[in-house]
Amino acid sequence: MTTISAPKTRSPIGRTFSRNPFLLSLILLIIMIVINRALQDNMLEIGPLNGTLRTMMPAIFLAIGQTFVVIAGGVDLSVGSILSMTNAILAVMITQEATADQALVAILVALAAGLGAGALNGFGVTVLRLQPIVTTYATSFIFAGIALRILPEPGGRLPRDLTSFYRNPLQLSESFAIPLSLILITLLVIFWLVLSRTRFKQFLFATGGNADAAYTTGVRVSRVKFTTYLLSALFATLGALALTLGTGTGNPRAGELMTLPSVVAVVLGGTRLAGGQGNIIGSIIGVLILGLIGNIISFGDLDSWVRPLVDALIIIAALAIPGVIGLVRRLNQ
Amino acid sequence: MTSFRLTVEKAVKTYGGVTALADGNLDVQAGTVTALLGANGSGKSTLSKILTGVVSPNSGSITLNGAPMRFASPQAARQAGISAVYQELSLIPDLTVAENIWLAHEPLKNGFVSRTLMRQRTQSLLDLFAGLYNRHLTPDALITDLTPDERQLVEILKALSFDPRLIILDEATASLDGQQVNRLFELVTQWKANGMAIVMVSHRMEEIFRIADKASVLRNGRTVGERVIAETSERELVELMIEGAGALHRERAPLVDPANPVRLEVRGLKTSVLHGVDLTVRDGELLGLGGLQGQGQSDLLMALFGAIRSTGQMIVSGEARHFRHPRQAMAADVALVPGDRGSEGLLLIRSIFENLILPSWGSYGTPIRVARAREKGAVIAEELKMVMSSLDAPVNSLSGGNAQKVVIGKWLLRAPKLLLLNDPTKGIDVGAKAEFYSLLRQLRDRGTAILFYSSDDDELLGLCNRVLVMHDGRVSTELFGDRLTHEQLVSASMGTPS
Repeated sequence: MTTISAPKTRSPIGRTFSRNPFLLSLILLIIMIVINRALQDNMLEIGPLNGTLRTMMPAIFLAIGQTFVVIAGGVDLSVGSILSMTNAILAVMITQEATADQALVAILVALAAGLGAGALNGFGVTVLRLQPIVTTYATSFIFAGIALRILPEPGGRLPRDLTSFYRNPLQLSESFAIPLSLILITLLVIFWLVLSRTRFKQFLFATGGNADAAYTTGVRVSRVKFTTYLLSALFATLGALALTLGTGTGNPRAGELMTLPSVVAVVLGGTRLAGGQGNIIGSIIGVLILGLIGNIISFGDLDSWVRPLVDALIIIAALAIPGVIGLVRRLNQ
Repeated sequence: MTSFRLTVEKAVKTYGGVTALADGNLDVQAGTVTALLGANGSGKSTLSKILTGVVSPNSGSITLNGAPMRFASPQAARQAGISAVYQELSLIPDLTVAENIWLAHEPLKNGFVSRTLMRQRTQSLLDLFAGLYNRHLTPDALITDLTPDERQLVEILKALSFDPRLIILDEATASLDGQQVNRLFELVTQWKANGMAIVMVSHRMEEIFRIADKASVLRNGRTVGERVIAETSERELVELMIEGAGALHRERAPLVDPANPVRLEVRGLKTSVLHGVDLTVRDGELLGLGGLQGQGQSDLLMALFGAIRSTGQMIVSGEARHFRHPRQAMAADVALVPGDRGSEGLLLIRSIFENLILPSWGSYGTPIRVARAREKGAVIAEELKMVMSSLDAPVNSLSGGNAQKVVIGKWLLRAPKLLLLNDPTKGIDVGAKAEFYSLLRQLRDRGTAILFYSSDDDELLGLCNRVLVMHDGRVSTELFGDRLTHEQLVSASMGTPS
């Protein structure tokens, strides 16, 4: 050893946490489940569990899409509006008499509209080089406007057999059923694990970690960023599909209040808001934590004003954690 | 593999109105080490970035094995077999060593990135430097956990992983220790024998003479000569680097009166970049700080101003002080004029008046006596001969030179006793520079102690009576009197004692 400079030492626990930031959120999730269980005895039984998870699915899709954008160093403030827009499209096109073919066409149209929205965001950020916050905040009004144009008032009713398939647990045998949402979540986790072994994942993290360095190394940084906005819009559309099937109807304002929570869930799941670090498994956990907090508030007979207060505190805490860690480090020096 | 020849001819690159490279030429062949030399701002970084496709030239030609080439992107250059070790490291802090080395050319197995292969290949690259790094440098270590020398090694291995036909080493030895440099040079000799072409940009003359076969010298953006190392001397190369460059009118003051009180004395100042700096500045002295860029000059000034953490002794105005925050330095009548006007010195969209008064609001009472502040502001603007529509115009309506005057003016209003200048004339026009110089002389004559870092050698030679040359975080040479010549300054910058 010829180098004099001492290496930075990290305890094994510190290393485990810094490599898998979602471990912290996992602990938080377990705490939430324990509290929730105490307030609601039947929480883990199939019926209530199925209902809880199903209502969280749209938020999970949004948070997953958001994660890609945030890891690459951006943010997408239009996911809620994209969800509203595609929810409106699905509700208008899938009427109660719709055939399977018509439903499929509706889904394809919604996907095309969603991807178009993502492409517009990507164009603004990578070609026009606008700030992601500004771009997606601006486009969110376009998409919200389109949603209201398509479906001015909440309405529409989907065929019953379509929604009930999605709503009910999947009966695997006479005595054993599993919530469909759980299967979807499992598939999403597998999707991430597979993606983790592709070059795209390396490019994604490199772009968010240091875009200039990634560019000089030969990563097509603009293309990667563009793709993240497409992915984010794609997942927002899938979220809309989950919402439409879950509620059986459309609401042009459905996503209005869903954008910010998607960012909070991402941060809560250990993804760094500045980019370069993160993970969609953490984001899924983040959504579950946020959802369970909502449950606790409603089951704990707390006043309704508590809900926004808690949400706000979570946002502040989640955003403050990296700063606090940095402060502690500086003070220790 | 045997025939690799890359030539650059008459390459020109301008950024806005500034010409970084006016006539860049380079001839690179398989099996030779070509050194690229030049003083600060001579265009050597720009030229090497043209080779790697990071910068595309406005005009000029690149020829690869006789065929014209144009590298539109780093990928294109890489496909032609060119890879580079960059001076400003190109590693991604949160990825592992292996992920960084194989970024954008990850080994695939069935279409998926193979971590096993990536680890194995990384390990065999690391083995090239076996025994010369700490045990924690493994393929799975995160870059952020590595020391600077280890990052540099990873950077070198990353360039090597592309199996290049031309490798560019841009100050690649800057943070390596002696043994690591020796090993690198052994490797370079091997690569050379295997028919690789090597371009090295180095500020260490000693290294150039150790390893290079020929040297290409740049001056003011032009290639001014090529020499075979075996047939030249350090002296000849230094002369090529400076010849005819010193055009600034010399009006140098005599050495400061040793009876003047010492305003600042520093002993053993250390930061992450500085390795123990000693210096003394007296009242009425304009002390220059020179050397190639990035040798710790800015760090020194920031540390003195309390803007970055440091250890060591500091005596300011006869009192032992150690500033932990710029406020403390300001209270002790120290001012710092930063180098980057946009990011450090000015509130660009606010008015000239607001910018001028910002550091001294405290002296105008509560509530603020705005009228008096305006009077003072007008006096300073007058004194600085600022060209502006009114004091209320936003700073971003000013030219670079006038904006820089605002930065200086805001500190002059506080009448500092010690003025720290961090490359203040970068990017301002000649006329504004001349006014700035006469302002500095006035301040000096009024008894202000000034520590002046400039990346422009002519300024140091024209204004200072004593110059400290920095090299690798230390003051390597002190030049004054007859020894303060351009030749001495350049050779001291290159780390060669003469």
